Amino acid sequence: MKLKQVGDPREVEIEIVARNGAIVRAKIDGNEVIAELEMLADGSAILQFDGRRVRVLGARTRNSILVAAGPASFEFTPVEGRAGASRHGLAAPEVTAPMPGKILKLLVAEGDSVEHLQALAVLEAMKMETTLYAESAAIVKKIRVGVGDMVDHGAVILEFSPPAPADPSKRESTVPDA
Amino acid sequence: MPPAWRVWYAPARVKPRTINKLLVANRGEIALRIIRSARVLGIKTVAVYSEADAGAAHVAAADEARLIGPADPASSYLNIDAIIAAASAAGADAIHPGYGFLSERPEFARATEEHGMTFVGPPAAVMAALGDKVAARRIAIDAGVPVVPGVDTGDLATARAFAASAGFPVLVKAAAGGGGRGMRVVNAAAGLAAALEAAAREAQAAFGDSRVFLEKYLARPRHIEIQLLGDQHGNVVALGERECSIQRRHQKLIEESPAPGLSAGVRDRMTEAALNLARAAGYRNAGTAEFLVDGDNFYFLEINARLQVEHPVTELRFGCDLVAEQLRIAVGERVAEPPAPRGAAIECRINAEDAAHDFRPATGRVINLNLPAGPSVRIDTHLGVGAEVSPYYDSLIAKLICYGADREQARTRIVAALGEFALLGIKNTAAFLRDVVASPAFARADLSTRFLEENFPSWANADGDLTAALITAALVADGVLGAARGPAAANGARDQAGGADLRTPWTELAGFELWGRR
Repeated sequence: MKLKQVGDPREVEIEIVARNGAIVRAKIDGNEVIAELEMLADGSAILQFDGRRVRVLGARTRNSILVAAGPASFEFTPVEGRAGASRHGLAAPEVTAPMPGKILKLLVAEGDSVEHLQALAVLEAMKMETTLYAESAAIVKKIRVGVGDMVDHGAVILEFSPPAPADPSKRESTVPDA
Repeated sequence: MPPAWRVWYAPARVKPRTINKLLVANRGEIALRIIRSARVLGIKTVAVYSEADAGAAHVAAADEARLIGPADPASSYLNIDAIIAAASAAGADAIHPGYGFLSERPEFARATEEHGMTFVGPPAAVMAALGDKVAARRIAIDAGVPVVPGVDTGDLATARAFAASAGFPVLVKAAAGGGGRGMRVVNAAAGLAAALEAAAREAQAAFGDSRVFLEKYLARPRHIEIQLLGDQHGNVVALGERECSIQRRHQKLIEESPAPGLSAGVRDRMTEAALNLARAAGYRNAGTAEFLVDGDNFYFLEINARLQVEHPVTELRFGCDLVAEQLRIAVGERVAEPPAPRGAAIECRINAEDAAHDFRPATGRVINLNLPAGPSVRIDTHLGVGAEVSPYYDSLIAKLICYGADREQARTRIVAALGEFALLGIKNTAAFLRDVVASPAFARADLSTRFLEENFPSWANADGDLTAALITAALVADGVLGAARGPAAANGARDQAGGADLRTPWTELAGFELWGRR
């Protein structure tokens, strides 16, 4: 299966090829890793591989898989196809809250055309401000929140429709004279 | 019977007071820490909590607990009327504000005293003068203490004129600020207006006071502060310094004492300046004078009129309990010259943030937790299995403090202790902090407030940890490992999606197989 870390665009292919008792054969982006798994009484487990010994903990939530490997903490989500959206030249059909927080500012209105990396909204979480940016050019179809609203992690803030096709006459005018 | 430490015979001009019941107007690790010290002194404690904190550790630790409002801090932990009402209803005779929230709000100190209760902190008037960074700058200038060049206002025209003459970068700061909130570095004239606006908005949200001012931004300073204790009789003592240079976006992450390599001459001059300032201001109770140090020059920044987050560093070197000292001072006892400090201490602040992804705030519930232990290892935390980190409050979830005979022993101890820390359920900065304290640059004590920019401009989990995490995630996805967790977790129900047992005392009693082996 393909996983990516929350907040990270990189995808990693991980597959458990075989499991024989405590021995786990995994493939990570094509590279085989053989690990020994040892369960502990407190709910953790020890993974031994490549001469390392790492204490791990894992749990599934509704949307993701949480892992602690020693003091390191991870959150993975399975990668799902976004074929419908990408076909129309959109990085994502909607903008969701990356964390729970309060909508401080909305910087666009419904019907606005936005450019790649244009600021869309300002979210306040844990007393810090986070600006949300457009991942691609798009048109703001619908805004689902208001200023001052508290939103949950993953709540849809606004929906996009595909950007208007570039006006050919406009494009021509930007081409320098030969 | 009153505890032995109380003062029954104080000088005539100071009314002797007693504290029988203390309300702690805070939450998280600091509320827990204050409750512990009060209990040792035989003082009853009252916790206050918001709706989001109903199951929190400080609620369980206190002798009684009172709900003061909804999760939003403005309606609960910043709600002076609700807290005073809770204190009166509980029959408390004193309030400890902790740090953050209302700790530096003179109107809260005033309201406490007006309702016949003792405020464990400086008097409202002193706090008003010193807690305000702009006013504090003026006091320092009058006391002959050097300050960073700057202007006392966030007025755009004045700010532009100052920046043009002093040169960029400049620093926009909140007059009521602390903890880096409402602070912005401005590198060019074009960004000045936006920075003033954003800082003012952040300051308004965090402190309820939107005033900002401007300072010249020093290139590579160290941040060193002096711990002070002042009593009602005019005595002020200093308890050494703390180096707080390891910061990210002006938020301290690692603090230590002594400040490595600080010359005795500079330390003595800074200590003298801090004492002069505190005396000039009529300072009382615990406070901290912060300085920027640039070579042999130092500049006064501000006095924090409260207990600092990093106070345990001082406690480990001086063998003292600063909260107990605060309570003693509040009832009129005299401060004594402290003993000579010993050894070295280092503190790491573990935050609920995703260090690998721009320190994005993280929330969640603790599913499993392993806290470090060992000789000279102290951890101040409110976390336990089931504890929730919500988006409403600060991201600090644990402070790990280690003592050593010298810096290197304290450092190696904290590297090892961070390696023991394991938290499932909330992404946190423990692995990042371990890498920082284990780094050669930190071991060399090549410190400045730019340390993290220079040495850790970006950070990622070690490849080995990522490999282990990916294998674990795949085993969890396959159902080989891991407890499922869903919105019904607190009720001990079965998760709709996963169907595996949730980790609660109830499900564990029924079936202890957490990982669900196959």
